[in-house]
Amino acid sequence: MRRSSMLGALFVLAFPGLALAADAPAAGGWLAPFTVIAAAIGMAIAAGLCGLGQGRAVAAAVEAMARQPGAAARIQLAMIIGLALIESLAIYTLVIALILLFVKGINFA
Amino acid sequence: MEAIEHPPIFHLPGMPDHVTYTWLVMIILAGIAFMATRRLELVPRGMQNAMEVVLEQFQLTIEDVMGPAGRPYLPLIATFGLFIFTANLMSLVPGLTGPTTNLNTTAACALIVFFTYHAVGVRKQGVVNYLKHFMGPVWWLAWLMMPIEIISHLARPLSLTLRLFGNMVGGHILLAVIFFLMGLQGLIGWALSGSVVGALVGGVGAAVTIAFTVGFLYPLKLLVSFLQAFIFVMLTMLYISGAIAEADHGHGAEHHDAGHH
Repeated sequence: MRRSSMLGALFVLAFPGLALAADAPAAGGWLAPFTVIAAAIGMAIAAGLCGLGQGRAVAAAVEAMARQPGAAARIQLAMIIGLALIESLAIYTLVIALILLFVKGINFA
Repeated sequence: MEAIEHPPIFHLPGMPDHVTYTWLVMIILAGIAFMATRRLELVPRGMQNAMEVVLEQFQLTIEDVMGPAGRPYLPLIATFGLFIFTANLMSLVPGLTGPTTNLNTTAACALIVFFTYHAVGVRKQGVVNYLKHFMGPVWWLAWLMMPIEIISHLARPLSLTLRLFGNMVGGHILLAVIFFLMGLQGLIGWALSGSVVGALVGGVGAAVTIAFTVGFLYPLKLLVSFLQAFIFVMLTMLYISGAIAEADHGHGAEHHDAGHH
Protein backbone atom coordinates (compact mmCIF):
# COMPACT_ATOMS: atom_id res chain seq x y z
CA MET A 1 0.00 0.00 0.00
CA ARG A 2 2.65 2.42 1.08
CA ARG A 3 4.94 1.47 -1.77
CA SER A 4 2.19 1.81 -4.34
CA SER A 5 1.26 5.28 -3.09
CA MET A 6 4.89 6.29 -3.21
CA LEU A 7 5.12 4.94 -6.73
CA GLY A 8 2.01 6.92 -7.61
CA ALA A 9 3.48 10.09 -6.18
CA LEU A 10 6.70 9.43 -8.09
CA PHE A 11 4.69 8.96 -11.27
CA VAL A 12 2.78 12.19 -10.72
CA LEU A 13 6.03 14.05 -10.14
CA ALA A 14 7.70 12.42 -13.11
CA PHE A 15 4.78 12.84 -15.48
CA PRO A 16 5.40 16.43 -16.63
CA GLY A 17 8.96 15.49 -17.46
CA LEU A 18 7.81 12.47 -19.45
CA ALA A 19 5.11 14.43 -21.20
CA LEU A 20 7.53 17.15 -22.04
CA ALA A 21 10.12 14.72 -23.30
CA ALA A 22 7.64 13.70 -25.98
CA ASP A 23 6.82 17.26 -26.99
CA ALA A 24 9.05 20.00 -28.21
CA PRO A 25 11.08 21.55 -25.37
CA ALA A 26 9.23 24.49 -23.87
CA ALA A 27 10.80 27.72 -22.68
CA GLY A 28 12.60 27.23 -19.40
CA GLY A 29 13.89 23.74 -20.09
CA TRP A 30 12.73 20.47 -18.62
CA LEU A 31 12.43 21.99 -15.13
CA ALA A 32 9.66 24.41 -16.10
CA PRO A 33 6.67 22.09 -15.46
CA PHE A 34 8.09 21.11 -12.10
CA THR A 35 8.04 24.73 -10.98
CA VAL A 36 4.24 24.65 -11.17
CA ILE A 37 4.12 21.57 -8.95
CA ALA A 38 6.67 23.09 -6.61
CA ALA A 39 4.62 26.28 -6.33
CA ALA A 40 1.42 24.36 -5.60
CA ILE A 41 2.94 21.96 -3.05
CA GLY A 42 4.89 24.72 -1.34
CA MET A 43 1.84 26.93 -1.08
CA ALA A 44 -0.24 24.04 0.25
CA ILE A 45 2.27 23.22 2.99
CA ALA A 46 2.71 26.88 3.90
CA ALA A 47 -1.05 27.53 4.02
CA GLY A 48 -1.74 24.47 6.14
CA LEU A 49 0.98 25.12 8.69
CA CYS A 50 0.16 28.83 8.76
CA GLY A 51 -3.44 27.88 9.51
CA LEU A 52 -2.31 25.67 12.39
CA GLY A 53 -0.12 28.40 13.84
CA GLN A 54 -2.75 31.11 13.51
CA GLY A 55 -5.34 28.78 15.01
CA ARG A 56 -3.18 28.31 18.10
CA ALA A 57 -2.64 32.05 18.40
CA VAL A 58 -6.31 32.92 18.00
CA ALA A 59 -7.37 30.18 20.41
CA ALA A 60 -5.05 31.50 23.10
CA ALA A 61 -6.15 35.08 22.48
CA VAL A 62 -9.86 34.24 22.61
CA GLU A 63 -9.34 32.27 25.80
CA ALA A 64 -7.52 35.22 27.34
CA MET A 65 -10.25 37.60 26.21
CA ALA A 66 -12.95 35.40 27.70
CA ARG A 67 -11.06 35.28 30.99
CA GLN A 68 -10.26 39.00 31.07
CA PRO A 69 -12.90 40.92 29.11
CA GLY A 70 -11.52 44.20 30.41
CA ALA A 71 -8.22 43.67 28.59
CA ALA A 72 -9.91 42.58 25.37
CA ALA A 73 -8.77 45.60 23.35
CA ARG A 74 -5.09 45.19 24.15
CA ILE A 75 -5.21 41.42 23.65
CA GLN A 76 -6.88 41.94 20.31
CA LEU A 77 -4.18 44.38 19.26
CA ALA A 78 -1.41 41.96 20.20
CA MET A 79 -3.26 39.15 18.47
CA ILE A 80 -3.58 41.09 15.22
CA ILE A 81 0.12 41.99 15.22
CA GLY A 82 1.05 38.38 15.97
CA LEU A 83 -1.24 37.10 13.24
CA ALA A 84 0.36 39.51 10.78
CA LEU A 85 3.82 38.26 11.67
CA ILE A 86 2.76 34.62 11.34
CA GLU A 87 0.91 35.27 8.14
CA SER A 88 3.89 37.00 6.57
CA LEU A 89 5.72 33.65 6.57
CA ALA A 90 3.02 32.16 4.38
CA ILE A 91 3.10 35.31 2.28
CA TYR A 92 6.81 34.75 1.62
CA THR A 93 5.89 31.36 0.20
CA LEU A 94 3.15 32.97 -1.87
CA VAL A 95 5.65 35.44 -3.29
CA ILE A 96 8.05 32.62 -4.15
CA ALA A 97 5.18 30.71 -5.77
CA LEU A 98 4.28 33.79 -7.80
CA ILE A 99 7.90 34.17 -8.86
CA LEU A 100 7.99 30.53 -9.93
CA LEU A 101 4.75 30.85 -11.84
CA PHE A 102 5.00 34.24 -13.47
CA VAL A 103 8.56 35.53 -13.65
CA LYS A 104 9.83 34.67 -17.11
CA GLY A 105 13.41 35.75 -16.58
CA ILE A 106 14.43 32.79 -14.44
CA ASN A 107 16.49 30.44 -16.56
CA PHE A 108 16.60 26.92 -15.16
CA ALA A 109 18.54 25.37 -17.95
CA MET B 1 1.08 38.68 -13.55
CA GLU B 2 0.11 39.99 -16.95
CA ALA B 3 -0.87 36.46 -17.89
CA ILE B 4 -4.11 36.44 -15.96
CA GLU B 5 -4.80 40.06 -15.11
CA HIS B 6 -6.59 42.40 -17.40
CA PRO B 7 -4.65 45.63 -17.84
CA PRO B 8 -6.34 48.65 -16.26
CA ILE B 9 -8.75 50.66 -18.35
CA PHE B 10 -6.92 53.96 -18.14
CA HIS B 11 -3.29 53.85 -19.19
CA LEU B 12 -0.91 56.76 -19.59
CA PRO B 13 1.49 56.05 -22.44
CA GLY B 14 5.07 55.59 -21.36
CA MET B 15 4.18 55.50 -17.69
CA PRO B 16 4.01 52.42 -15.45
CA ASP B 17 0.49 51.75 -14.24
CA HIS B 18 1.31 51.77 -10.55
CA VAL B 19 2.78 55.26 -10.87
CA THR B 20 -0.33 56.50 -12.68
CA TYR B 21 -2.59 55.10 -10.01
CA THR B 22 -0.36 56.39 -7.22
CA TRP B 23 -1.01 59.83 -8.71
CA LEU B 24 -4.72 59.06 -8.68
CA VAL B 25 -4.50 58.15 -4.98
CA MET B 26 -2.62 61.39 -4.35
CA ILE B 27 -5.29 63.39 -6.20
CA ILE B 28 -8.05 61.70 -4.18
CA LEU B 29 -6.33 62.28 -0.84
CA ALA B 30 -5.39 65.85 -1.68
CA GLY B 31 -8.95 66.53 -2.80
CA ILE B 32 -10.36 65.13 0.42
CA ALA B 33 -7.87 67.17 2.45
CA PHE B 34 -8.74 70.29 0.48
CA MET B 35 -12.47 69.76 0.95
CA ALA B 36 -11.99 69.11 4.65
CA THR B 37 -9.87 72.17 5.32
CA ARG B 38 -11.48 74.65 2.93
CA ARG B 39 -13.68 76.24 5.56
CA LEU B 40 -12.38 75.29 8.97
CA GLU B 41 -14.96 75.74 11.67
CA LEU B 42 -14.85 75.40 15.41
CA VAL B 43 -17.84 73.08 15.31
CA PRO B 44 -16.95 70.80 12.40
CA ARG B 45 -19.51 69.65 9.86
CA GLY B 46 -19.43 67.34 6.89
CA MET B 47 -16.04 66.39 5.49
CA GLN B 48 -14.12 68.22 8.19
CA ASN B 49 -15.99 66.25 10.83
CA ALA B 50 -15.28 62.93 9.14
CA MET B 51 -11.58 63.59 8.68
CA GLU B 52 -11.28 64.80 12.27
CA VAL B 53 -12.74 61.50 13.46
CA VAL B 54 -10.25 59.56 11.31
CA LEU B 55 -7.25 61.54 12.50
CA GLU B 56 -8.41 61.33 16.11
CA GLN B 57 -8.43 57.56 15.78
CA PHE B 58 -4.86 57.69 14.47
CA GLN B 59 -3.86 59.93 17.36
CA LEU B 60 -5.51 57.69 19.95
CA THR B 61 -3.80 54.60 18.53
CA ILE B 62 -0.43 56.37 18.53
CA GLU B 63 -0.88 57.48 22.14
CA ASP B 64 -1.91 53.94 23.03
CA VAL B 65 1.11 52.30 21.42
CA MET B 66 3.90 54.88 21.63
CA GLY B 67 2.79 57.11 24.46
CA PRO B 68 3.15 60.89 24.31
CA ALA B 69 6.56 60.52 22.63
CA GLY B 70 4.81 59.41 19.46
CA ARG B 71 3.01 62.69 18.90
CA PRO B 72 5.54 64.18 16.41
CA TYR B 73 5.17 61.17 14.14
CA LEU B 74 1.43 61.58 13.60
CA PRO B 75 1.81 63.16 10.13
CA LEU B 76 4.05 60.36 8.84
CA ILE B 77 1.98 57.56 10.31
CA ALA B 78 -1.40 58.98 9.32
CA THR B 79 -0.15 59.63 5.80
CA PHE B 80 1.01 56.05 5.50
CA GLY B 81 -2.29 54.75 6.82
CA LEU B 82 -4.45 56.87 4.52
CA PHE B 83 -2.28 56.26 1.47
CA ILE B 84 -2.06 52.50 1.89
CA PHE B 85 -5.74 52.13 2.73
CA THR B 86 -6.83 54.19 -0.28
CA ALA B 87 -4.42 52.31 -2.54
CA ASN B 88 -5.70 48.96 -1.24
CA LEU B 89 -9.30 50.00 -1.82
CA MET B 90 -8.44 51.09 -5.34
CA SER B 91 -7.43 47.57 -6.30
CA LEU B 92 -10.98 46.47 -5.45
CA VAL B 93 -12.51 48.64 -8.16
CA PRO B 94 -12.79 46.68 -11.40
CA GLY B 95 -10.85 48.35 -14.17
CA LEU B 96 -8.43 50.14 -11.87
CA THR B 97 -5.23 48.78 -10.44
CA GLY B 98 -4.04 49.26 -6.92
CA PRO B 99 -0.58 50.78 -6.49
CA THR B 100 0.05 48.38 -3.62
CA THR B 101 -0.23 45.39 -5.94
CA ASN B 102 3.15 46.43 -7.33
CA LEU B 103 6.29 45.56 -5.41
CA ASN B 104 7.88 48.95 -6.09
CA THR B 105 5.21 50.92 -4.23
CA THR B 106 5.31 48.76 -1.11
CA ALA B 107 9.11 48.66 -1.16
CA ALA B 108 9.19 52.46 -1.30
CA CYS B 109 6.89 52.69 1.73
CA ALA B 110 8.91 50.13 3.67
CA LEU B 111 12.22 51.84 2.87
CA ILE B 112 10.83 55.16 4.08
CA VAL B 113 9.91 53.47 7.36
CA PHE B 114 13.34 51.81 7.59
CA PHE B 115 15.34 55.01 7.12
CA THR B 116 12.94 57.02 9.28
CA TYR B 117 13.22 54.89 12.36
CA HIS B 118 16.99 54.66 12.11
CA ALA B 119 17.22 58.43 11.64
CA VAL B 120 14.91 58.97 14.62
CA GLY B 121 16.99 56.62 16.76
CA VAL B 122 20.26 58.30 15.79
CA ARG B 123 18.84 61.76 16.34
CA LYS B 124 17.35 60.90 19.73
CA GLN B 125 20.38 59.22 21.24
CA GLY B 126 23.41 59.86 19.06
CA VAL B 127 25.27 57.54 16.74
CA VAL B 128 27.39 55.76 19.37
CA ASN B 129 24.55 55.09 21.77
CA TYR B 130 22.31 53.90 18.98
CA LEU B 131 24.96 51.54 17.62
CA LYS B 132 25.57 50.27 21.14
CA HIS B 133 22.03 48.95 21.12
CA PHE B 134 22.98 46.48 18.40
CA MET B 135 25.57 44.89 20.67
CA GLY B 136 23.12 43.07 22.87
CA PRO B 137 22.84 43.00 26.65
CA VAL B 138 26.40 41.96 27.61
CA TRP B 139 29.68 42.90 25.99
CA TRP B 140 31.09 39.39 25.52
CA LEU B 141 28.08 38.43 23.40
CA ALA B 142 28.47 41.40 21.07
CA TRP B 143 30.22 39.42 18.35
CA LEU B 144 27.19 37.13 18.20
CA MET B 145 24.47 39.75 18.67
CA MET B 146 25.75 42.19 16.09
CA PRO B 147 25.10 40.05 12.96
CA ILE B 148 21.81 38.78 14.37
CA GLU B 149 20.57 42.30 15.08
CA ILE B 150 21.69 43.59 11.70
CA ILE B 151 19.95 40.76 9.88
CA SER B 152 16.84 41.25 11.99
CA HIS B 153 16.77 44.95 11.17
CA LEU B 154 17.34 44.29 7.49
CA ALA B 155 14.50 41.78 7.51
CA ARG B 156 12.06 44.43 8.71
CA PRO B 157 11.66 46.37 5.44
CA LEU B 158 11.64 43.08 3.55
CA SER B 159 8.79 41.70 5.62
CA LEU B 160 6.87 45.01 5.49
CA THR B 161 7.20 45.03 1.71
CA LEU B 162 6.31 41.43 1.07
CA ARG B 163 3.43 41.29 3.56
CA LEU B 164 1.53 44.17 1.99
CA PHE B 165 2.40 43.15 -1.57
CA GLY B 166 1.61 39.46 -1.06
CA ASN B 167 -1.72 40.08 0.61
CA MET B 168 -2.86 42.49 -2.06
CA VAL B 169 -1.64 40.43 -5.01
CA GLY B 170 -3.04 37.22 -3.53
CA GLY B 171 -6.50 38.73 -3.28
CA HIS B 172 -6.13 40.28 -6.71
CA ILE B 173 -5.28 36.94 -8.32
CA LEU B 174 -8.15 35.29 -6.49
CA LEU B 175 -10.59 37.83 -7.94
CA ALA B 176 -8.99 37.49 -11.39
CA VAL B 177 -9.43 33.72 -11.30
CA ILE B 178 -13.06 34.10 -10.25
CA PHE B 179 -13.70 36.53 -13.08
CA PHE B 180 -12.10 34.08 -15.50
CA LEU B 181 -14.36 31.38 -14.14
CA MET B 182 -17.32 33.66 -14.84
CA GLY B 183 -16.46 34.86 -18.33
CA LEU B 184 -17.70 33.96 -21.79
CA GLN B 185 -15.44 30.92 -21.84
CA GLY B 186 -16.58 29.93 -18.35
CA LEU B 187 -19.89 29.68 -16.55
CA ILE B 188 -21.69 32.47 -18.41
CA GLY B 189 -20.54 31.08 -21.73
CA TRP B 190 -21.84 27.71 -20.62
CA ALA B 191 -25.18 29.22 -19.67
CA LEU B 192 -25.49 30.90 -23.07
CA SER B 193 -24.32 27.86 -25.03
CA GLY B 194 -27.86 26.80 -25.95
CA SER B 195 -28.07 23.35 -24.40
CA VAL B 196 -30.50 22.81 -21.52
CA VAL B 197 -27.96 21.16 -19.21
CA GLY B 198 -25.45 23.90 -19.92
CA ALA B 199 -28.01 26.56 -19.17
CA LEU B 200 -28.98 24.86 -15.91
CA VAL B 201 -25.46 24.20 -14.65
CA GLY B 202 -23.97 27.39 -15.98
CA GLY B 203 -26.82 29.59 -14.79
CA VAL B 204 -26.91 28.13 -11.29
CA GLY B 205 -23.11 28.13 -11.09
CA ALA B 206 -22.90 31.72 -12.25
CA ALA B 207 -25.55 32.82 -9.72
CA VAL B 208 -23.77 30.99 -6.90
CA THR B 209 -20.38 32.42 -7.89
CA ILE B 210 -21.73 35.97 -8.11
CA ALA B 211 -23.40 35.62 -4.71
CA PHE B 212 -20.19 34.18 -3.24
CA THR B 213 -18.05 36.96 -4.70
CA VAL B 214 -20.32 39.84 -3.73
CA GLY B 215 -21.39 38.42 -0.39
CA PHE B 216 -18.13 36.95 0.86
CA LEU B 217 -15.02 37.75 -1.18
CA TYR B 218 -15.52 41.49 -1.50
CA PRO B 219 -16.24 42.03 2.21
CA LEU B 220 -13.23 39.83 2.97
CA LYS B 221 -11.04 41.92 0.71
CA LEU B 222 -12.35 45.10 2.32
CA LEU B 223 -11.37 43.68 5.70
CA VAL B 224 -7.94 42.63 4.43
CA SER B 225 -7.40 46.08 2.90
CA PHE B 226 -8.10 47.75 6.21
CA LEU B 227 -6.15 45.19 8.21
CA GLN B 228 -3.02 45.41 6.08
CA ALA B 229 -2.98 49.21 6.25
CA PHE B 230 -3.50 48.95 10.02
CA ILE B 231 -0.70 46.41 10.42
CA PHE B 232 1.73 48.45 8.34
CA VAL B 233 0.99 51.51 10.45
CA MET B 234 1.14 49.52 13.68
CA LEU B 235 4.54 48.04 12.85
CA THR B 236 5.79 51.48 11.87
CA MET B 237 4.76 52.75 15.29
CA LEU B 238 6.46 49.82 17.02
CA TYR B 239 9.70 50.31 15.12
CA ILE B 240 9.83 54.04 15.79
CA SER B 241 8.95 53.62 19.44
CA GLY B 242 11.60 50.90 19.69
CA ALA B 243 14.19 53.29 18.29
CA ILE B 244 13.11 56.01 20.74
CA ALA B 245 12.59 53.89 23.84
CA GLU B 246 16.11 52.52 23.93
CA ALA B 247 17.30 55.89 25.15
CA ASP B 248 15.15 55.65 28.26
CA HIS B 249 15.28 51.99 29.18
CA GLY B 250 18.73 50.98 28.00
CA HIS B 251 18.68 47.34 27.06
CA GLY B 252 15.42 46.36 28.66
CA ALA B 253 13.34 43.41 27.58
CA GLU B 254 10.68 45.81 26.35
CA HIS B 255 11.97 46.61 22.90
CA HIS B 256 12.90 43.03 22.25
CA ASP B 257 9.38 41.70 22.13
CA ALA B 258 8.24 44.76 20.24
CA GLY B 259 10.29 44.35 17.14
CA HIS B 260 11.50 40.81 16.68
CA HIS B 261 9.91 38.25 14.51
